[in-house]
Amino acid sequence: MEMLVFAGAATAKIAIVMVTVLITVAVLTLAERKILSWMQDRMGPMEVGPYGILQPIADGIKLFFKEDIIPAGANWLLFSLAPILSLVPAFIGFAVIPYGPNQEIELFGVTIKPFIITDINIGILYILAFASIGAYGVILGGWASNNKYSLLGGLRAAAQVISYELNVGLAIIGVLILSGSLSMVTIAEKQAGGFWHWNLFGGLQIISFVVYVISSVAETNRLPFDLPEADSELVAGWMTEYSGMRFAFFFMAEYANMILVSCIASVLFLGGYNAPYPGTLLPEHLAWVEGIAWFTVKVYFFLFLFFWIRATLPRLRYDQLMRFGWKVMLPLALANIVVTSIVVYVLR
Amino acid sequence: MAVADLVKTFTFYEILVGMKATMTVFIQRIILRNRKAVTLQYPHEKRDLPGTYRGMIALLKYDDGTEKCVGCDLCEAACPSRVITVISAEVEGEPMKRYAKEYYMDMTRCLFCGLCVDACPVDALAMTKEYEWARYNKRDLRLDKPQLLALGDRNFPEREKKLEFQHPNVAYFNIGHKNLPSKVS
Repeated sequence: MEMLVFAGAATAKIAIVMVTVLITVAVLTLAERKILSWMQDRMGPMEVGPYGILQPIADGIKLFFKEDIIPAGANWLLFSLAPILSLVPAFIGFAVIPYGPNQEIELFGVTIKPFIITDINIGILYILAFASIGAYGVILGGWASNNKYSLLGGLRAAAQVISYELNVGLAIIGVLILSGSLSMVTIAEKQAGGFWHWNLFGGLQIISFVVYVISSVAETNRLPFDLPEADSELVAGWMTEYSGMRFAFFFMAEYANMILVSCIASVLFLGGYNAPYPGTLLPEHLAWVEGIAWFTVKVYFFLFLFFWIRATLPRLRYDQLMRFGWKVMLPLALANIVVTSIVVYVLR
Repeated sequence: MAVADLVKTFTFYEILVGMKATMTVFIQRIILRNRKAVTLQYPHEKRDLPGTYRGMIALLKYDDGTEKCVGCDLCEAACPSRVITVISAEVEGEPMKRYAKEYYMDMTRCLFCGLCVDACPVDALAMTKEYEWARYNKRDLRLDKPQLLALGDRNFPEREKKLEFQHPNVAYFNIGHKNLPSKVS
């Protein structure tokens, strides 16, 4: 009985998070087009529904009913596997994110943490590991399509994701040194009590924050680092030969990855669900509402930043991207680790 | 100087200037609401075309419903793209008068230069403001006389009087000359 309740609660939490992420993906596809067009003196989608708000539904239906084409020379197995390999790691990372306060409730004699799906003690490592697997989807999809543009896109994605994932990994080490834990829940808990306790301000992790944000933009293949996709050079990069739901999987993976890196950034640097002031405004039993609201605000701030950067900056050249990654970001991230370690060693 | 450049590089100064520009537009558009989109919702909204717009070419009629065209073939001669084919014939029972028995325009080749309109001695041709003429079959763009006359009827509801009533003081066979007095409407 206890096992059943526990399993049921876990399934419910997973289902809620999955549905929320999928809805957010749908909202983001519209929000991106609208925000971009507002910043560029255009209107964006206006046809489906009032001001185009039903556009994601129309897009979804269109992609669902489109013909599923597998090119004649493609490797059938890898071609089918790539979108799944890309989508699953993007969704799986949400399992360790703390969405709200780490409080417990009793349900039929079982203790359940309603706002945390699971608290793995190596949470951030788990996310990084699965993010690396997500890169395989892009690379295999590019190779299996039997198309030169796809292959070029896949190759670029391989080089880019690997070099920028390194920077992500090094950037968060400063935070890990300060928190003394790899668990996302512990990292978030340690930043409670006002914005001067957040790792960004209190921990002075400004360099690692900047490195993390830039690298995560590059890791999710978003402008100005969208070289694997590069519409003007490579048609659509590794997605050139994909259509219908397979294409939709890649698309959803990209947006889910955006949400995931935004969640990580807000947990690691902006205190996750913690409000920028000590304590809570709402009464004790409603504190979780405030926590989730602050978390949502922070995540949407990062998502807006993604769109804002996309509306502003043109695409980098490939050698610029590599030079920036290896010669600028990597030394900065390493220097940040050294300085943070020394300061922490001296002060504690 | 070098220090200032270094500071600018490390603070992403140029990027921040660009982001400020996009954010300014965004705020003007969404919060201040004093900025409009420069684009039009095309099928629902259309541009105001200038009066000299050169769209589809039409054949015109006089106010009594007779065709203006006298079948002189000058438009065919003037056309640089050989769009126009005129097959001229005598008016039945009136050997002095001719008309275009058949008149074809292959609009797939037309470059809308307007030379045929200039060449016409009786102002039988005119350029309309129609431009939405995408067709699935390109043979649909080879227009015959009824189609061209329909274009004229559709775009020019006000028809001109016959030549002999337009210029009472000018013999009507001289009408083709360019230095005409303005027409009496």
